[in-house]
Amino acid sequence: MSHQVAQVKGQVLNSQLSRRNLLMGALAAGIAIPTLNALAGCAPTSPGSTYTGTLSMTAWEAYPDQIRANIAAFTDVTGVEVDLSLIPNVGYVSALQTRLLGGDSPDVYYNFAYASTKYADQGWAAELNEFEGAEDMIADMFPSSRGLYQIPDGRIISAPYFSAIYSLFYNKAQVAAAGGSGEPQTKEDIYNLSEKAKANGVSAPYAAYWIKNFCEEYFINYLLADGITPFDDNGAPVFADDSKTKGVLEWWAAMYQDGLTSDGILTADPGVHVTAMAQGTSTFFELHHYFLKEIRVADGPESPNVDMAYRSPGLAGTALQIGEVVQLGAGLEGERAQDAWKLLKTYGWKDEAGAYSTFISWAEQAALLAPYPGLFKEEAFRAAFPDYYDMDKLEDAFENNTSAVSARVAPWYPTFQTAVGDRIQTLLIGEADVDATIAGLADDAISAAQS
Amino acid sequence: MTEAKAALRGPRRHSPLARSNRRFGALIAAPAVLLVLGLIAWPAVQTLVYSLQDSTFVRQGSWNGFENFIKLFSSEKFMNSLGLTAVYAVGFLVLSTALGLAFALLLNQEFRGRWLARGLLIVPWAFPWVMVGIIWKWFVDGDVGVLRAIVVDWGFAPEFVAPLSTKNGAVAIAIIAAAWRQSSLAALLFLAGLQTMPREIHEASLVDGASTWQRFTHMTVPWLRPVIGVVIILNTISGFMQFDVIWALTQGGPGNATTVLSIYLYQQLFVDTNLGLASATSVVLGVLALGLGFIFVKLMYRDKGISEGVQ
Repeated sequence: MSHQVAQVKGQVLNSQLSRRNLLMGALAAGIAIPTLNALAGCAPTSPGSTYTGTLSMTAWEAYPDQIRANIAAFTDVTGVEVDLSLIPNVGYVSALQTRLLGGDSPDVYYNFAYASTKYADQGWAAELNEFEGAEDMIADMFPSSRGLYQIPDGRIISAPYFSAIYSLFYNKAQVAAAGGSGEPQTKEDIYNLSEKAKANGVSAPYAAYWIKNFCEEYFINYLLADGITPFDDNGAPVFADDSKTKGVLEWWAAMYQDGLTSDGILTADPGVHVTAMAQGTSTFFELHHYFLKEIRVADGPESPNVDMAYRSPGLAGTALQIGEVVQLGAGLEGERAQDAWKLLKTYGWKDEAGAYSTFISWAEQAALLAPYPGLFKEEAFRAAFPDYYDMDKLEDAFENNTSAVSARVAPWYPTFQTAVGDRIQTLLIGEADVDATIAGLADDAISAAQS
Repeated sequence: MTEAKAALRGPRRHSPLARSNRRFGALIAAPAVLLVLGLIAWPAVQTLVYSLQDSTFVRQGSWNGFENFIKLFSSEKFMNSLGLTAVYAVGFLVLSTALGLAFALLLNQEFRGRWLARGLLIVPWAFPWVMVGIIWKWFVDGDVGVLRAIVVDWGFAPEFVAPLSTKNGAVAIAIIAAAWRQSSLAALLFLAGLQTMPREIHEASLVDGASTWQRFTHMTVPWLRPVIGVVIILNTISGFMQFDVIWALTQGGPGNATTVLSIYLYQQLFVDTNLGLASATSVVLGVLALGLGFIFVKLMYRDKGISEGVQ
């Protein structure tokens, strides 16, 4: 009996599941599933969609566990869930822009400072002025830093993700062996000490992160150190009119062409330079202040001898202040917008309790700074830095001897930044002279601003 | 006509069974065709449209004819990039194909540990392109690179000049690094082709007194001709589209020494956000890759159809 029932069931199934029906079903599924996936992929995060109480945040993959911890702390306090999306550092810009172009805007996202105004102008990032406390956030900053977050037309376009200052790290023992006393004061000091260090057997005395994308930061930093104003208030490249600029570029080219750097300096990652400092194959390394911690933690034979200069070597001693930013997605409304602002505020200023908790966590994790004088007074923040950092000097340098160069967030700046990498590397490999490089850089800035 | 050949030719064209089979095939292929149209054909058409407009990311532009192409071809940077791309693609194609064939021939021989060697063959292919760039960047680094240690510490040369610090060296390393990975795939394809080759053919040629070179040129290469065609197309397209390895190695430097068209395109699109010029660059790149791939295949099969091989 059961056999007969099974047979009848089989006939019914066979008649229902004809090849035609099966294929039609498969075809429908084949179309529907990817389509639904695509639609579903856009829906939860697009600003126009219904807010379910979960925010979306996109960040690049630096210290992912700390990002998660910071977000978890935010959720604990506010009850607002955050769906975090991490994108590898390589390709972050293209991945983020592709999402934004496709209408898949995160509520809060990391961005590079140089791209922040452009994103605001393109309608990808919200203006923050209307949010409660935004003006207070700007007022809470060091005056020298404000231009990175509030642009000349008054729009507040971002909050700090972190700040850092350009610093020179030097090996005290090797500098002493080369006849120096303490930190070098000028570029000529660096050149002369590097020559002597090389003669003493240091293979690549001066190290720096001169890859194409970073040449622009060094260019501005070297100019500032010698008291050269890179751009005027209108963004005009006044560095080209300053005769000292020629000296800066001549020094830069000489450092490379006279063999005082490693010949891989145009492409080497910071890790290579950190290793070189820790091993003693480099005497000087110039990059963001937090690399001192990297060199010490590397625990090489020379790591304990490496110290940090709190004055940028040059006639004026001013260093470039850099920092990346956090921005709010455009088009947010109502409760969603308010929750996103809370997250942005916690991430880029103070938490709900009014403490700089996120920045203290970054200081503990990676020795990062933020542009708030109040933060530097926090005991927990100062204690987060290893004792080889002189916090008073660091605060003084940040407040009084750095410049953020607000032109660096102008909408045309990314184009100029790319051009600097091309020009400077071409100069260094001897395929352009200094005068042509300066003229070319000025032209690049002007044409980028006009385009 | 033999029964087998008749079977191969398939059923008569107008039989109900043939129509049913065609419908069946069309239905089976339809989802894939729709996906390809949606994900490749439609964006390609859009790119073509944008290349003829002055659109930006935030503004739908108006038609401007071939102005973007005129701008491109009058730009010194673009022309340099175009020439470099040709050099890079040809170098990549030749090296990855030759290495792949050499590996396949080697691994087709009987020797102890062949299973292990065949397993290792897949390793480069398992790395993402960007990882290949990073690995090679460290490998050839002038301070801490393994290559430096081999050259200097083992006494091959008194000094080591980091290849990425010179224009030609950077181009060469960019080609070698990418070809290293791609040759792994090429070798797998060639090896699969070699394993379908009947032993009798080689045995007969040995009896006829053919030399190793003669057997390679007159037996192996013709037998592999369909595979070579596929490998050449894949390698040509991959060579023209290469971005990740070069970006990880040099970001297009030193200077503009390795700014191939894909990097130029990246800068146009994601830095300058110039959709029109970037789309025009894409069109040039696509036409070059497809055109050259087509020419190579035509050259390969100018005498014989693909399906005929050496039969």
